[in-house]
Amino acid sequence: MSEILNSHDGVVEDTHVAVRLEDVRPPSDEEILRVENLTVEFPTDDGIVHAVRGVSYTLHEREVLGIVGESGSGKSVSSMAVMGLLPRNARIHGKILYRGDDILKMSPRRQRDLRGKKIAMVFQDPMTALNPVYTVGDQLAEAVLAHELMPRKDALARAKEMLDLVGIPQAEARLRAYPHEFSGGMRQRAMIAMAVINNPDVIIADEPTTALDVTVQAQILEKLIEVKDAVNAAIVLITHDLGVIAGMAHKVLVMYAGKPVEVTDTDSIFYRPRMPYTAGLLGSMPALETTGHRLRPIKGAPPSLINLPPGCPFSPRCPLADEVCVTREPELMLTDGLEHRAACHHWEKMASVEDPTVFFRAESEIKG
Amino acid sequence: MIAFIARRLGISVFVLLAATIIIYVMTALSGDPLADLRQEQGPDREEKMRVRSERMNLDVPIPVRYLQWLGGLLSGDLGVNREGQSVAIILGNALSATLQLVVAATVMAMLIGITVGIISALRQYSGFDYTVTFMAFIAFSLPLFWLAVMLKQYIAIEFNTWLRDPVIDPPVIVVVSLISGLTWGALTVGTQKARLTSFAIGAAVAAVFLTFLSATRWFADPGLGTVVIGLLAFGTAVGVTALFAGLQYRGPLYAALAAAGVGTALSAVMPGLLVDPTWLELFGLLLLTVAVCVGLGYALGGLQRRQAVTASVLTGVVTAGLIFMDALLNAFSAYSRRMRGRPIATIGSNTPNFRGDFWQLTLDSATHLLLPTMALILISLATYTRYSRASMLEVMNQDYVRTARAKGLPERTVIVKHAFRNGMIPITTLIAFDFAGVIGGAVVTESVFGWKGMGNMFLEGLRTVDPAPVMAFFIVTGGAIVICNMLADILYAYLDPRIRLS
Amino acid sequence: MTLSVSAPSGDAQGMTIVARTQGQLVRRRFFQHKAAMAGLTVLLAIVVLAFTSVGFGPFDGWWKYNWTQTGTVVNGGQPTLTLWPFSLGEHPFGQDNVGKDYFALVMRGAQQSLLVAFLVGIVATTVGTLVGSLSGYFRKWTEAVLMRWTDVMITIPVLLIAAIVGRMAGGSGIIVLGLALGLVIWPQLGRLVRGEVLSLREREFVEAARAIGTRPRRIIFKHILPNTLGIIIVSATLTIANAILLESALSFLGVGVQPPDISLGQLISFYQGAMLTRPWLFWWPGVFIIAIALSINFIGDGLRDAFDPRQNRVRA
Ligand SMILES: Nc1ncnc2c1ncn2[C@@H]1O[C@H](COP(=O)(O)OP(=O)(O)O)[C@@H](O)[C@H]1O
Ligand code: SF4
Ligand SMILES: [Mg+2]
Repeated sequence: MSEILNSHDGVVEDTHVAVRLEDVRPPSDEEILRVENLTVEFPTDDGIVHAVRGVSYTLHEREVLGIVGESGSGKSVSSMAVMGLLPRNARIHGKILYRGDDILKMSPRRQRDLRGKKIAMVFQDPMTALNPVYTVGDQLAEAVLAHELMPRKDALARAKEMLDLVGIPQAEARLRAYPHEFSGGMRQRAMIAMAVINNPDVIIADEPTTALDVTVQAQILEKLIEVKDAVNAAIVLITHDLGVIAGMAHKVLVMYAGKPVEVTDTDSIFYRPRMPYTAGLLGSMPALETTGHRLRPIKGAPPSLINLPPGCPFSPRCPLADEVCVTREPELMLTDGLEHRAACHHWEKMASVEDPTVFFRAESEIKG
Repeated sequence: MIAFIARRLGISVFVLLAATIIIYVMTALSGDPLADLRQEQGPDREEKMRVRSERMNLDVPIPVRYLQWLGGLLSGDLGVNREGQSVAIILGNALSATLQLVVAATVMAMLIGITVGIISALRQYSGFDYTVTFMAFIAFSLPLFWLAVMLKQYIAIEFNTWLRDPVIDPPVIVVVSLISGLTWGALTVGTQKARLTSFAIGAAVAAVFLTFLSATRWFADPGLGTVVIGLLAFGTAVGVTALFAGLQYRGPLYAALAAAGVGTALSAVMPGLLVDPTWLELFGLLLLTVAVCVGLGYALGGLQRRQAVTASVLTGVVTAGLIFMDALLNAFSAYSRRMRGRPIATIGSNTPNFRGDFWQLTLDSATHLLLPTMALILISLATYTRYSRASMLEVMNQDYVRTARAKGLPERTVIVKHAFRNGMIPITTLIAFDFAGVIGGAVVTESVFGWKGMGNMFLEGLRTVDPAPVMAFFIVTGGAIVICNMLADILYAYLDPRIRLS
Repeated sequence: MTLSVSAPSGDAQGMTIVARTQGQLVRRRFFQHKAAMAGLTVLLAIVVLAFTSVGFGPFDGWWKYNWTQTGTVVNGGQPTLTLWPFSLGEHPFGQDNVGKDYFALVMRGAQQSLLVAFLVGIVATTVGTLVGSLSGYFRKWTEAVLMRWTDVMITIPVLLIAAIVGRMAGGSGIIVLGLALGLVIWPQLGRLVRGEVLSLREREFVEAARAIGTRPRRIIFKHILPNTLGIIIVSATLTIANAILLESALSFLGVGVQPPDISLGQLISFYQGAMLTRPWLFWWPGVFIIAIALSINFIGDGLRDAFDPRQNRVRA
């Protein structure tokens, strides 16, 4: 048994055909999820952590929204708020509308009915996200039985179907296997199977590939897109790596220090960034458009979320920062593109150059 | 599994063997076995010394003596003590009392400690949590013998005196009710109002209950009766169902209620049938109870069969326990009269030459076990509480618990199914360690309560530099620790599928 | 912590900087721990009281009686201590049946109990740390020996072996008793240290040190042990708390401190029979044992929180 189970993902995936967003059905106009001005604060011993400071977005049927930002920018907290899984001490404000109903105003019981059934989640680290003491089949069946009373046998049959769908061979046998008998990639597949097992409307995937081998990352992302098509779900794809988003998301929301700083369609993010932070992220991406420059990570660190400085939170690291930037925090505003919003006082400067990542190059590089 | 046990036992034999060498040699070197005779002035002093030297083989070197002892052990002979009495016979009398004490204390400490620890973790930073933590520190710092003497003095003697006229003083009722209220209030999460309500209910229920017990002089002739058994059984049914199956679907609840109903009905006739049972018969009845409850769960559970079986079996077993308690309590007043009104014993592990039916004899052991067990629980209660609290806190922070919640499972399932089993894994490694501590504690407790148990045999042997009883003590306790260790390993492997027994 | 890789001289400097900031953090957290501070205060008070009141060794105490002199029993030997208004009276803790001043006896007992406990703690910690770190670092036979030895020790209840050792050593005075007890209870600590060292030796900074050819002795003492300091200090503290209880239990059973030495447990044992007529003879030593053990346990808790604040950190 273990022989088969330990076969490497690469071997399993030999016949895999790459799936991209353009291969699957496009989003419809139907709005599934709308987040309005969401803020989350945590009171702690050291002060109040302003983890999320006014996030808004909408998600349509079958749509993929990418949320990008450095770690600590509030991506996970904002999505855990949607799942209703924040710790009890969190202070949450704003609206989270699922098909028009505010989740934050629902009874715990109704929240739970949505959770895992209509809105499902795939977590970052598949090594720890599955309970080590129960079989994979049991944990999948449980997700079905949590929302529907049916014979266990049927729930297990459904679980097997899902394992087939996510491309785990010998699904029947693997239902009886424990998580530690799976490789990392396979566990993440199992997590995806668990997320789609109840035909959800929304799948929140929180850095689903960060903890995985580079070789399996692409496969997992493609599987996610493929599976989403099978169950007709929309996806919120969270990542700290802009590269993951390319070809995988319809639109992108860039977060910095708990705030959305740029929102637009995926192409515009890559070709027409209007916020220096986005440009910095692009500049630090490996092998994008291969301009021959070295990787240029953005210098400095994100601000403390307890004592936020006045002005633009990015100003200490921003090459374009000036007087205005350190005194007044920029609002998210419309820029030159259609539905292209950015929170920057100087987005026009970004618009005026051919390659906005130029601002992040070292002096010497520009001269040379 | 069999292979694992065999292998472990094989290794353990060698470990125990090594330990016997250490203990034998050290005991033999710990003093002069003839010391008392050397002080003597009588004319037959030389003769006595000669007899004892011969009996204890003092003429040959210690290693040879050890080998002789070992040879005896291998042929099933534990030797004689220095007075020439057979150690096997002394051990036979001492063994069961001590094992009862040690097992009772360990099981109770585990049950109570783990429960309190888990609740404390789930209510982290609550008043309850702080109180439990503080009590645990006190318990870690209390000398066992001191506590035992206190229990003997204040609980046993005062309680017996109080039993002559068992009226609970109003101030006591007030204090106990307040404590009950505070406990419930501290356990409640939510608004100030919810806490106050819990406090009021907790305090009021306790006050009414105690007043009732006092007014009816319940303690003079205790018992439960069909009505109380029924109430408790149905309460258990609902509680157990809520905990293990949830009240969302009807199947499990009906199964548990049916089990409670059958039990209550039987409680009216059982005392008549159980006039003088044996433990074996009672055990058979327990098995029957489980079988019937499994049937009920299976028949009524519907699609939630598994949970229904769990709920009905637990309800059935608790109800059976209540019926047993009732019968035992009914025998109490007669027993108390035979003890001339002082039923809680302070000395020995049973009343010498006591005869009676099953219930009388059981009560006699129970009243003797009560205080030593209470004292001995202290050794491990705090440890289990602290460890299970820490373990649960750790587990509740794990990713898979978050995953379980993200599936939409009710918090009950998240805790009972996902967190609990993982949280218990580290506890298993504590069991064997702790058991050794309890055995040490038993020596102290027996000494305070004047038991002629194994602890007494050991201490007597040590004081008189007499290896045979000391070794007998070690063979039994070391063996028990080895078995306990192995059970802990098996439990570990059962709880954690990543571990293979091989 | 990878400072040792390039320059040994710079490394020393780097290490001290790291160690100091770490140490400062630990110290700050410890001094903010209320229970630990209360424990420290009480413990210091008891130590000062016990050692100055009746004197120790060549030094005379300020208390008017000592623990050997008998006298006439006044007022049935009742304690004369009153808290409000505070007054000590002639015999604050009362007298025993031959008129010895019980305050002097309890103070002497506290002295000796504390001495034994600290000795046990020091011996067990030293041996446990040495054996634990050697076996954790070198593996091979040191480890095999330690593991087999612990296997054996784990099947022997501590009280059993301690009682035998106490029987052997008790008559030779408290110093010997403390040393001997320390020598039987170190394996628990040794295992703990070993586990810690095992995980540390795989870490980069140790590998780096090994890679540049640092000698094992230096690696153990300069790189590994400083990082296990937290766990060692905490377990040493808890070992002392347990040793107080162990010594008193042994003395209670008659296999610990032997007359003419006096310990708290021995006092309780000795006056157990007087529980009904002179309950204070039973109370006072008990209260002191509990106070000492509780203070040390609180200090240990504070140290644990200070060294490893993980348990009360909010999850991010
Ligand atoms: N329970 C909590 N208490 C206090 N701070 C928290 C808590 N959860 C998250 N945070 C803080 O909120 C910020 C955003 O975290 P997160 O959403 O996890 O970032 P990421 O974008 O990496 O997913 C971080 O600074 C984190 O420390
Ligand atoms: S507002 Fe100013 S500091 Fe902020 S991103 Fe724009 S240019 Fe930079
Ligand atoms: Mg995150």
